[in-house]
Amino acid sequence: MYDFVIIGGGPAGVAAGVYAARKKIKSALITDGFGGQSLVSADIQNWIGTKSVSGFDFSKMLEDHLRAQEGIEIFYPDLVERVDKADGNFQISTREGKILEAKTILVATGSRRRKLNVPGEKEFDGKGVAYCSICDAPIFKNKVTAVVGGGNAGLEAVRDLLAYSPKIYLLQRGQALKGDPLTQEMIAKEAKVTVFLNAITTEIIGDKFVTGLRYKDVKTGEEKELKVDGVFVEIGSVPNTEFLGGLVEKNEWGEIIIDHKTQRASQEGIWAAGDATDVLYKQNNISAGDAVKAVLNIYDYLNKQ
Amino acid sequence: MKSIKIYSTPACVYCKMAKDFFKKNNIQYEEYNVAEDEKAREEMVEKSHQLGVPVIDIGGEIFVGFNRADLEKALELK
Repeated sequence: MYDFVIIGGGPAGVAAGVYAARKKIKSALITDGFGGQSLVSADIQNWIGTKSVSGFDFSKMLEDHLRAQEGIEIFYPDLVERVDKADGNFQISTREGKILEAKTILVATGSRRRKLNVPGEKEFDGKGVAYCSICDAPIFKNKVTAVVGGGNAGLEAVRDLLAYSPKIYLLQRGQALKGDPLTQEMIAKEAKVTVFLNAITTEIIGDKFVTGLRYKDVKTGEEKELKVDGVFVEIGSVPNTEFLGGLVEKNEWGEIIIDHKTQRASQEGIWAAGDATDVLYKQNNISAGDAVKAVLNIYDYLNKQ
Repeated sequence: MKSIKIYSTPACVYCKMAKDFFKKNNIQYEEYNVAEDEKAREEMVEKSHQLGVPVIDIGGEIFVGFNRADLEKALELK
């Protein structure tokens, strides 16, 4: 029986692990990877105390910091598949067949990339449909590409593609782009970028590989087709909270509803921090701070029992 | 000893993880940067029938992405 089990190895999970170990709480951390979604970031420039770090090095920094702590058990690589209530405690079952018992839990499972859910997306995943522009942009050298999503991630994907792709279409379902004004300005100057607003992607088509994309212009109702070799999907994220079932209350997007003073979820004994929660701003620094808040509250809770 | 090739791009994190994994296990590999090397890029697409990196070729067995458990199995490390 653990007093405290942390689920997740991003900035929230690792911050919780460090604080729990220093409080000498009998704890464990289960994760499938370190660093969270920033792992694939080329350069993080806002992690406080660090001017510039790649996502890869960031994940190592977190892992090293956690492993330097004494008294926390780390289950890696493993993934929590379900959590059940059992005699006032919790039973945590993992992919690797482990069953852990815990008095308290911190859910720090973050979020994952949202998919378009249109015909052709799954079929052509990796065959022209891509989710990591910084990884895969060079493979689209001399190929026409489309980026779906006009937020920061979409704009950055366009920027990553500029060096390789001769023609880039940016499709945004809303009436205006949403990302950073500076990046918007930069992209607006590029002759090879064409922006389509009010454009809802409806289908990805192809043969062996992607050959095109269909979209609907919501203003005119017209269906249109673009000839492209690649489609980069950058339309936000979904919280990794399905494994909790109905154990805690969630909002309409699946984010865990928490008390923002203590990070407590609706179920006694469960706390949550980071992108899996209904926190307004999804940021590494905030995730880490919120997880610390949770551990301090859990420490008080355990001492009162 | 199986010959090992990795097709990668410079900024790809999972490529770095795969290379780290090889280094940690003292496994020799050949790296092809498909951002520069067009011939290698074609070879990669032909072998993997897809356009994502990394692609890892372990003695003819093709892996897309980095999955530690799969590589350990293919290299008989465990």
